[in-house]
Amino acid sequence: MDTLELSVDHPLRSFRLSLELQLGRETLALVGPSGAGKSSVLRAIAGLLRLERGKIALGAATWFDSVAGVDLPPERRSVGLVFQEYALFPHLDVRRNVAFGGRERVDELLERFQIAHLAGARPGELSGGERQRVALARALARDPAVLLLDEPLSALDAHTRGVVRGELAELLAELRLPTLLVTHDFEDAAALAERVGVIVDGSILQLGGAAELLAAPADGFVASFTGANLLHGTARPGADGLTEVLLDAGGSAFSTDRAEGRVGLAVYPWEVGLARTEPVDSAVNHLRGEVSSLVMLGNRVRVRVGPLTAEVTAASAERLALAEGEPVVASFKATATRLVPIG
Amino acid sequence: MSRVFPVLLGAALLVAVAFLALPVIAIFLRVPPGDLLAQLGEERSREALLISLKTSLIAHAVILLVGTPAAYLLANRSFRGRRLVVSLLELPLVLPPAVAGLGLFAAFGRSGLLGGELSALGLELPFTQAAVVLAICFVASPFYLRSALTAFESIDPSLPAAARTLGAGPVRVFARVALPLALGGLGAGSTLAFARGLGEFGATIMFAGSLPGRTQTAPLAIYAAFDDDFDVALALGALLVVVSAALLLAVKLVPSWTRSSSASTTLFAPSASR
Amino acid sequence: MIRLAALAAMLALAACGGNDDQELVVFAASSLSGVAGKLDPGAEVALGGSKDLAAQIRDGAEAGVFLSASAKPLKELRAKGLVTTPAVFASNRLVIIVPAKNAAQVNHIVDLTRAGVKLVLGAEGVPIGDYARESLELAGLGAALDNVVSLEEDVKGVVSKVALGEADAGIVYATDVAAARDDVLSYPISDYFQPQIRYYAAIVSPGSAAAERYVDKLLGPEGRAALRAAGFIPVS
Repeated sequence: MDTLELSVDHPLRSFRLSLELQLGRETLALVGPSGAGKSSVLRAIAGLLRLERGKIALGAATWFDSVAGVDLPPERRSVGLVFQEYALFPHLDVRRNVAFGGRERVDELLERFQIAHLAGARPGELSGGERQRVALARALARDPAVLLLDEPLSALDAHTRGVVRGELAELLAELRLPTLLVTHDFEDAAALAERVGVIVDGSILQLGGAAELLAAPADGFVASFTGANLLHGTARPGADGLTEVLLDAGGSAFSTDRAEGRVGLAVYPWEVGLARTEPVDSAVNHLRGEVSSLVMLGNRVRVRVGPLTAEVTAASAERLALAEGEPVVASFKATATRLVPIG
Repeated sequence: MSRVFPVLLGAALLVAVAFLALPVIAIFLRVPPGDLLAQLGEERSREALLISLKTSLIAHAVILLVGTPAAYLLANRSFRGRRLVVSLLELPLVLPPAVAGLGLFAAFGRSGLLGGELSALGLELPFTQAAVVLAICFVASPFYLRSALTAFESIDPSLPAAARTLGAGPVRVFARVALPLALGGLGAGSTLAFARGLGEFGATIMFAGSLPGRTQTAPLAIYAAFDDDFDVALALGALLVVVSAALLLAVKLVPSWTRSSSASTTLFAPSASR
Repeated sequence: MIRLAALAAMLALAACGGNDDQELVVFAASSLSGVAGKLDPGAEVALGGSKDLAAQIRDGAEAGVFLSASAKPLKELRAKGLVTTPAVFASNRLVIIVPAKNAAQVNHIVDLTRAGVKLVLGAEGVPIGDYARESLELAGLGAALDNVVSLEEDVKGVVSKVALGEADAGIVYATDVAAARDDVLSYPISDYFQPQIRYYAAIVSPGSAAAERYVDKLLGPEGRAALRAAGFIPVS
């Protein structure tokens, strides 16, 4: 079985891209803010970007080695790259697009992706979801050894996204190809990949399963990236073995984590409860404020109270008769907090 | 004011159309169609038209064969001095044709820069049909090169990149992706260049001279006929317009998919669901 | 007393003659470039091939005087009544010019028939062209026409092609050599092979006093001196 080995050291506009990865028959997602260098990694693997220093090899086949002077052009690397905007050839119909990479498997792929009925259509006539499927089929027509997906869901509207995400997860599980996917959305990454790497300013801050990142974010960046609320403050030992964090925004909160000095206090929205009155429990942090915004997401509601975002069920929100401007108390357990390094 | 504005726009358009169409219409009003056909029977006119077509077509083939890859390279590589190269390629556009003629002499004439080398090869260019072809190439190629450059530059770069990740080498990328996508712009530039070449006068008369049956193209023949037989000049002019228009039409009727493909080559591969 | 009054009246009349107030425009054959302007410094001189200039006058160009290098360009104008009866005023001689380097080694009219010699002449209907062809006929050297590589609409075109060194030889007026002195050599053509060159001056209708004055001057001693100085042969 071939493992993709990647080591990169390359200057980008305002920072250096520097990381190492090994990828087996799994899907690894690189998440991070835009401009973090994620797409550059994909382009480097595909051969569209020449690294200043590094090595890219699939098993015994070396695709790039700055020391040995090896740099295979993209057409000689067995990759399938799905571009963010799909890059379908506008002058060719679907069948010819898919066949561009290889003619043997076209019919099979058209069937598998359920686009056989679109074989004669031009990319301009297709919907976003359809285009994505064509792009995938096309990339796979070449029977690549490595699959690279650049923001596969960003070009889709919210509704299609959910559907496609599910389909894509199934597909990746079926293919069992070393797959590297890049996204700025942690939820997409969590749904599609076995391992997630958070990349910021060219370096990987943390690499692990999605659950791991949520349970133990390595620092403030990772925490806020995975969707946590991040409150900055200064920590010192407090009563009952808890750590007290004096929040920059005012007041203090308690955490079961140990830390001292400047910290970020991370708590996930679904760990934040809402009520009309304060709970009576010293191990629970609370914050009084006004509802500044309410967003319905299916049968969940995202409520913003002061610096915190809480996620509660629609039923709870109704019961509390939440509305903008209403006073409410947001609370979260000391055990639900993580103290992470910041700055 | 808002009522007047559309009227003013319409008036401007009317003036433009009238001004541009009038001289052409006037030619045809003065020449009875019978005369046009009779002119075709005149040896001098026939010769002139044939020389014009022959040299223009040869020159055009050269322009396309050399210009297309050149423009492609220029569009895809950035190198030091690129802007200078582009300016040089556009230079003939701003050069008065007579100066172009002088330049051609200075470069390819007997006592020119390459004169010695050419003579050694047994090639003497001035006053030959080859000289006419050269003159046409010189003045017409910038029109093609500019359009071709723009056409290749406006291809969404992710498309050739995608092609390469799909296993296409540089040749296949050029032939299967870049060329089809740029075809609209290439066609437009080609038409312009051909028309310019067909009407070329100044550089030709200087560098190739004017000899009926050998180097006297249609525009040169019109110039020669202008003084003693205005009607001949007129008829020949009308014939030239007809030929040019026919060619223009032929180019425009190239299957519309070439133009629709370049129209859909907007900045990104289509993603309507944004 | 009466004589004074008459003189005053004549001067007054002369002063308010219609066309006199406008500047005189002289259309002159290119070969006359050294002379045309000298006779009336205030006049505007347009030089060109006689055939070309005649066509412009036919099309309505505003010219006062037309100086043509031969009779042919005037024929049509006369037929249409556009010019008054032309008067001969000068003659010229033909010479052979070759580039200064004379790589083709042409120095006699016979050399013009040699294979490979690149000869440039004036086009049909252009005076210098017609004269050159006449000269070659007179010499029995019609074969030289096979060596023609270009027919120019203007004698200056012939001169420039030879001066650039691209043509091996050309036949031009003797008066044209001076201007290209550094770039060309000239060889004479025998009297026997000289055509009868005649320069004509015609007033373009309707005439003007300025035009008549110009032509009178041209035909008079001042004109003859200027022509001689430029290398022409005054004729009356």
